[in-house]
This record gives sequence, structure tokens and C-alpha cells, in this order.
Amino acid sequence: MSAPAIEFLNPTVRPTATRTRLWLSLARAVILESLRRKDLYVVGILGFLLMVSAGTLGFFGLQGLETFAKDLATTVLGLFSTIVAVLTGSRLMPDEIRNRTLYPLLARPMSRFDLIMGKFLGAVAVTWIAFGILAVLTGLALALFGVRFEAVMGQYLLLKSLGLAVVCAVSLCLSMVMTPSAAATMGFVLAFGTTMIVRALTMAYETASPAMQWLFKLVNAALPQYGLFDMGSRAANSGWGPVPLWVVGALLGYAVCYSSAMLALAWLKFRRQVV
Amino acid sequence: MREALLWGVGAATLLGVGLGTTQLKEVVHPPVKPAGLDAHETHASSSLLGQFRTSVSSWLWLRTDLYLHNGVEMRHLTQQELDRGKTGVGSSDNHDEALHNDELIVTVIPSRERDFRGFFGDLDRATKAYKDMSNHGHNDPKTALPLFRLMTWVDPTFVPGWTTAAAVIIRDRTEEANQKALGLLREGLAANPNSVGILSEIGFVHVSRRKDLRTAAAYFEQARQAGRAVVERLDDEDQEALLHGYRWLGLIYRDLGRTDSMREVLREGVQLFPDDPVLVRLLNPPPQVLSEQGQKAWQEAIQEELEGARADDHDHHDHHHDHEDHHDHDHP
Repeated sequence: MSAPAIEFLNPTVRPTATRTRLWLSLARAVILESLRRKDLYVVGILGFLLMVSAGTLGFFGLQGLETFAKDLATTVLGLFSTIVAVLTGSRLMPDEIRNRTLYPLLARPMSRFDLIMGKFLGAVAVTWIAFGILAVLTGLALALFGVRFEAVMGQYLLLKSLGLAVVCAVSLCLSMVMTPSAAATMGFVLAFGTTMIVRALTMAYETASPAMQWLFKLVNAALPQYGLFDMGSRAANSGWGPVPLWVVGALLGYAVCYSSAMLALAWLKFRRQVV
Repeated sequence: MREALLWGVGAATLLGVGLGTTQLKEVVHPPVKPAGLDAHETHASSSLLGQFRTSVSSWLWLRTDLYLHNGVEMRHLTQQELDRGKTGVGSSDNHDEALHNDELIVTVIPSRERDFRGFFGDLDRATKAYKDMSNHGHNDPKTALPLFRLMTWVDPTFVPGWTTAAAVIIRDRTEEANQKALGLLREGLAANPNSVGILSEIGFVHVSRRKDLRTAAAYFEQARQAGRAVVERLDDEDQEALLHGYRWLGLIYRDLGRTDSMREVLREGVQLFPDDPVLVRLLNPPPQVLSEQGQKAWQEAIQEELEGARADDHDHHDHHHDHEDHHDHDHP
């Protein structure tokens, strides 16, 4: 077993409680940094846009447009929170390297994996805070016009949060192997294009050759399945109940596995990287 | 000095050529108001805002179809799938008659049997608004009316928004619904004075719902005047509306006993739409060799073709516009 693996896995080297505290400290620093950089102001502006849009719709009259309003709300909510997740996830590590703040961090008694894990948790926390703010503002805006979501909205928020964590992990991994701009671009392409690619694969599968079908399966397995975490269509339209618990459990498992794989890849790249 | 003169002549020539291009204005900007998605391509200044409005109204149009299926995403079969004999899900009602043809659509998320993704497919079906849509029903199209109102409010030049909304309203078959539809169409006509689609739809409401042949004929004639000179430049929807206008005018003049007008209109219609079997049949009287029963059968065949064409048209109208699929709405 390699030295870094021993370092990571051996609890005597670094007790779990200490490690968890370390990760949380790093995550807290990410949140504070985000506040200092006024990133959450952007969320505020996006929220303001949401309220203005809702106000415009309200001016027109929402009678008969409740489904449309809910659909619009879940779409915009998903869009804005994904933007925040990609930008936050793809920026953290390159910023540390560019600003040379990585040196004092690495001089402390922590492994490079700890650093990545802490940054990831910080990115997820910032994204969830932004998502929470936007969700509350959207809910308020719609409630003002008498539009009510069904109970399934709770599941939508939960699963969307899990999906955003996967987006953060993928963006962070991308930022370790490419420039920040390229990582952000690829992050957006994956976040907004994966569902379309998967739809295209399912459409073309039956008419594809056996070799292509094999390739389709491979591509589908490798791509992050962000679309699975989006229950927007059930939340916006009426009469769709909550999904069974096994679905939530399976998606939680998938989110953990995929995010772990992305963080492992990021660590493999970062642990040998000369900074 | 000579060089300067040459430069001057060259510059004057270029200026002359440049100014001469105004002669091309008629070619570059044909004197027809574009309809549908090109409605805003009239002036550079309006193009930017127009593109935005067109995009919004097109997006709303797509959402309308989605809400009729209560959020279940549907797609049209590809040509490859059709060639392989794959059929659509069909429907148990005709609530979306004005919007699309259910025989040509399937769910975007495939059924378990047709999905190669295995467990991921199961999760996708569980977390999305998905159900087996075989022989499916629809939400009442009237629930989509506010959305049609919104899209015409965002973009008054979006003709399908006006005509499809009117087609949905007159499904009620009451005088109140007719008045409401006509009011809406007149509002649309004010924003699109030469729209063949709207004029034809107004004519259709008068002839099919109010049985007012003379008023209907007046509107169909207006549609004819607006469309016949520029038929090549009309978009698919307006060409279709013009074709319906000729069919209805032929029938109306026949019923009013204006045989000469009927022949003139039908001849003109066949000239513009030589492949249309309905116009050809209407123009040619039943052969004399047929018995009285045969002639009756001939007339019934025309009627059947008209009914069939009307059903097909309903599918068409709608989705021509967004993805050149087969969608339609109410027409002869």
C-alpha cells in the first residue's frame, strides 16, 4: 500500500474526529471566503430577479397559470443553483494555487486529501446555502400569488441538493485537470448537457449497431446522471405523489459513490502535483 | 493629380454601386409581412427584441403540450423509427386534437422494456413525471388557454398562438365560445392585419360554428387576397391556411349557388395547389356515366376527404412551428 493511502486510511495517524474537525474548518473557511468575495450577493441578485419575474407574472394574473408558475420556479431554481455549484466547485483549488495561499495550508498538519475534502464540503455548503436562499425566495414569491406546492416539493429539494453535491464534486475534479475557465465550461456542459446526451442515447439505442450500443452503455455509465436528481416535473405538475424511499436511498448511494470517485480522481492528480 | 482623379472615379463608382443596391430592397425585403418564427425579422432594430419574444413564445408553446400531458415529456417518432414500423402511443380522447397527432408520438423516457439503462432507467422513470402513455388521456386543453394568452401577450405577432387558442375555445360549440374566439381572433388580426392564418380561422369559425356562409366567405376572400399573390413566400402554416380557404370558399359558393365564383376559386386553387385532391375533386363534377347513387357516393367521397383533411390539419398546425413535426388545429 502506498504511503499516501496509509496516511489516509490509518486512523492512528489521524483520528477520525480530528479529521472531521479539520474538514469542517476548511469548509467553514470556504463559506467565509465566499461571503468575503460577496459571492452570495450574486445569489441575492438572482433572487431579486426571481421576485421581479414572479411580480411580472402576478401582474399579468396567475389564474390558470399555476402549473406554469411552478414549472418556471423549479426550472429557474435548478438553473441558478447549478450555476453557483459549478462556479464554486471549479474555482476553489485553482484560486488557492494562484493566490499562493496553498503553501501555508499545506504547511499545516493535513494531507492533500484533507484539503480536497474540506474544499468539497465547503463548496457543497455554499451551494446549499445559495439553493436554500433561492428556494425560500421562490416559495415566498409564489405564495404571495397563492400558488402552493404539493408535498413532493420536499423531495425535490432533497434530491436536488444531492445532485448539486455531485455537480460540486465533478467541477472540483475538473478544476484539478484543466484550467479554471475550461473546468467551469466543461462543468456547465456536463451539468446542462448530460440529460440531453442521455435522452439522445436512449432514442438512438434501438437503431444503433451492436458496437455502438456497447459504446452508448459505456458513455451512459461514465456520465454524471444529474437528471436523476431533478424531480421538477413531478413537483410542478399536479397529482404526482412522492417517490418511494428506495429511490431516495438509491440516489443517495449514487451521489456518494460518484462524488467519492470524482474526489478520488482529484486527489490522485493533486497528490503528485508540484505546486 | 491623375492618381487622385482615378481614386475619385473609383470612389464614385463604388458609391454608385452601393447606392444602386437599394434596387435590391424588394428582393432582400419582400413586401410580405413574415409570419410565425420570422415575424420579427423586419427591421434590424426590432430583430434583437423580436428574437427574444419569439423564443419565449416558442418555449411557451412547447410547455403547453407538456402540460396537456400533465408533465410527461413526449417526442415525435424519428423517421428511422417510423421506417422500422414503430407506432406512437395513441390516445383515448381527442382533447389534444388541436395540438398534435398522438399516433406519431412516444414518451421521451422509454418504457422499461425499451430502455437500455437498466437501474438508471428505473430511477429516471421514478423521479420524473412518467407513466405508460399507451392510449393516454389529456388534461383539458382549456387549462392551457391562459398560456396561449400569455404567449400572444408576450408576442402578438405569434399567429399560431391566436389561431390555436381560438380552435381550443370553439370546442365548446356554444355561441358564447364562438364570440370569445372571434374576439380573440379580431385582436390577433389587429396585430397581424394580413395574416392568412387568422383570416382563415375567422372564416372557419363563421362557417363551421355559426353557419354564416356569407360572413365566412368575406373572410376567406380576404385570406385569398392576402395570400394568393405571395403564396411562394408564405410559411407552411399560412400556405396550409390558404389551401383551407380555397376549399371552404369552393364549398360555400357551391352551397350559395354561385357556381361561377365556385369554379373561379377552385380553378385558382388548383393552379396554386395542383396536388390537392380535395380541390381537384371539387372542381371536377361527378362523371355523367355515374348513376344517381354513384354521384351521391362521389359527393360523399369529397366530404370524407374534407373530414380527413380537417383531422390531419389539426395535428399539423401546432408543431410545424416548433420542430416541424406534425401538429395541427381546426380547419377544413
